[in-house]
Amino acid sequence: MENFSRRSILRLGGASVLSVAAMSALAACGSGQAGAGSEGGNGATGTITVWSWTSAATALRGVVPAFEKANPGIKVDVQDVGNPAIWDKITVGMAAGGQGLADVMHIGCDYLPGYMEKFPGGLANLSTLGADKYKDSFVKGLWPTVTGKDGAAYGLPWEVNPLGFFYREDLFKKAGIDPTAFQTWDDVVKAGPALKAALPGVSLIAIDKPASASPDLDFFQSLLQLQGSFYFNLQGEITIGSPESIRAMTVIKDLNDAGLVGDAAGDHGWSRLVGASKVAVAPYPAWAADYLATKFPDQSGKWRLTEPPAVTAGGRRTAIVNTTNLAIAGSSQKKVAAWKFVEYALTRPDSMNLMFKAGGVFPALPAAYADPIYSQNEKFYGGQPVLKTFTELLDKGSVGTNYSGDYARALKLVSDAQVKVFLKQADPATVLADAAKQLAQQTGRKIA
Amino acid sequence: MAASPPRARKKHIRASMVPYLLLLPALALFAVFKAYPVVASFWISLTTGSGALRHFTGFSNYQRLVNDPLFWTSLQNTGIILVIQVPIMLGLAILLALGINSIHVRLKAIWRLGVFMPSVTGLVATGIIFSFLLNKDQGALNWLLSLMGLPAVDWLGDPSWARVAIVLVLTWHYTGYYAVIYLAGLQGVPKELYEAAMVDGAGAIRRFTSVTIPHLRPILLFTVVLSTIGTLQLFDEPYVLTRGGPDNATMTVSMYLYNNGFSYFDSGYASAIAYALTLIVVVLGAIQMKFMGGNNED
Repeated sequence: MENFSRRSILRLGGASVLSVAAMSALAACGSGQAGAGSEGGNGATGTITVWSWTSAATALRGVVPAFEKANPGIKVDVQDVGNPAIWDKITVGMAAGGQGLADVMHIGCDYLPGYMEKFPGGLANLSTLGADKYKDSFVKGLWPTVTGKDGAAYGLPWEVNPLGFFYREDLFKKAGIDPTAFQTWDDVVKAGPALKAALPGVSLIAIDKPASASPDLDFFQSLLQLQGSFYFNLQGEITIGSPESIRAMTVIKDLNDAGLVGDAAGDHGWSRLVGASKVAVAPYPAWAADYLATKFPDQSGKWRLTEPPAVTAGGRRTAIVNTTNLAIAGSSQKKVAAWKFVEYALTRPDSMNLMFKAGGVFPALPAAYADPIYSQNEKFYGGQPVLKTFTELLDKGSVGTNYSGDYARALKLVSDAQVKVFLKQADPATVLADAAKQLAQQTGRKIA
Repeated sequence: MAASPPRARKKHIRASMVPYLLLLPALALFAVFKAYPVVASFWISLTTGSGALRHFTGFSNYQRLVNDPLFWTSLQNTGIILVIQVPIMLGLAILLALGINSIHVRLKAIWRLGVFMPSVTGLVATGIIFSFLLNKDQGALNWLLSLMGLPAVDWLGDPSWARVAIVLVLTWHYTGYYAVIYLAGLQGVPKELYEAAMVDGAGAIRRFTSVTIPHLRPILLFTVVLSTIGTLQLFDEPYVLTRGGPDNATMTVSMYLYNNGFSYFDSGYASAIAYALTLIVVVLGAIQMKFMGGNNED
């Protein structure tokens, strides 16, 4: 009898310990949620966390020592979360009411409108922290891309990417073609046979044709932007089936039919092809300047930069392909401290250039271009001052593109259309019209 | 004397409460992490918008689902993969189990381990290894094909072959798991039945169909239902190998759900897809149990 009651007491004791442990674990989860609400706070000191990716994170770390010296009391922790992993992290954090988000987040122009639109309050209003005085400091056309419908700023522009046309001078010399003479992309297609004859096994550009890892639409988008167009117009209507869009997809189809497009499918497909000298042209913007030099040091002296060809005769030969920004989470407890860092990093030419030297992020602050680094001759590019080419291209100004909050859906549908053009020889007009119809159905937007 | 009945009653109450107290932690965890999300997800599927913009819209998400061509494509893809892959995998698993069951005891353990290893391999490791193996130009599989004089196959870039690649990787991943289950079942078949059948003059195949299969029937039902549910929810292999491409050839319902929830921030629609999938799983599972579990008589 005594044994039984002692055993039952032990059992009871064990059970209650377990349940208390479970309850306290649950309570801890619960209180964590209640603590970091979505209103945040205006703390001006402490440690702030910054989320970014690869070379941009390196760039941000480059300016942290100077900032911490000028602002004792604020420590900055830069975390390289990776791209595209960062979008999932931010989306989940936003959906959870701001829980778990870093104080400062590096957000591209393709995701910023989506976050502003779908998660009101998810990003902090920077105008209340003093951002409006920098309205005219950045490259023209960028301010509207960081402001919400209420006219307040929700991000500050950091990086701008003007389109370029990087080419392998040695390969083109071997083929006896001068790429600086290309006026339009039709000229490029016409030069196809000569290129293929002189350089068997080499393609002009390389695109991930089946979109094996993710949509590979950088080239298509830059062709759209050269024509001042995009997936949406400034009113938010769908322009995927527009004549500009069809023209751009037709250029891609013509290049593919001429055998000029290599298949960059698979893990790091494009880097592998470029590293093996199988690609003659990298039609990419300013970020490629540092990327090519860092990734392919053995090709030093072989690459050059020139103006991109236009899509139509006499058309524009410059475009801002994309921009990235720094934004502050609406749930951040240290908004003032975070703003101090953002302001220090993005509005001062010396900070911008520190970050550029550290990570190759091309600044959206024209005042930074006075630095001699932008006019120096680059050894990797055979002594050509490539950065000067880009700053001059930016001087010409550009039209802002509307990525809109539904960019992710549009990207997938247009990627499907491009895959059909590559793999099934589909007609660009038909697949783009179909994509436009599906996007209208999914988002409720009108077709322009 | 008057003191002991209350003592006995107290002990009785304490003793009968113990099971519930022991169950309490598990029940609490279940309620928070399983029951609550299921109910909340149904509520979310009746809403549109996110964060502060979320509002009730009734069954509009389900109506949109019915008219969504991409959802029907993903369902069709999932169905094709299911119909082809499950029989192949389970057939291979039975053969493997029969093979392992008939070899020497020491070798049995090694084979069992080797056959089971793929099912504990991590998702990312599987994806990386197979994207190398299945690479069009440098992959080992195409190299093997070239040794046999066959043309190279674009495993991950061609829509039809991508489906075959998914079936291949899925089979590699889970056959061992089911083989081990069948092995356990085989070892429960009484040896006397085989001896009696041999005495009656039954050959190996007749013994298999008349002795082994009927005894394995409940396990067969279990594995068919389990693998059907698993393949209907297929996400891992398409996500790491093809991201649902090319041209939506390997887009499964779960991948479409993921895209809607995490790429397009449309959690209401994603929840509706989840419930549609659940309904399909329940219906299919019920049909299978009726067909296979019903006739226990020979």
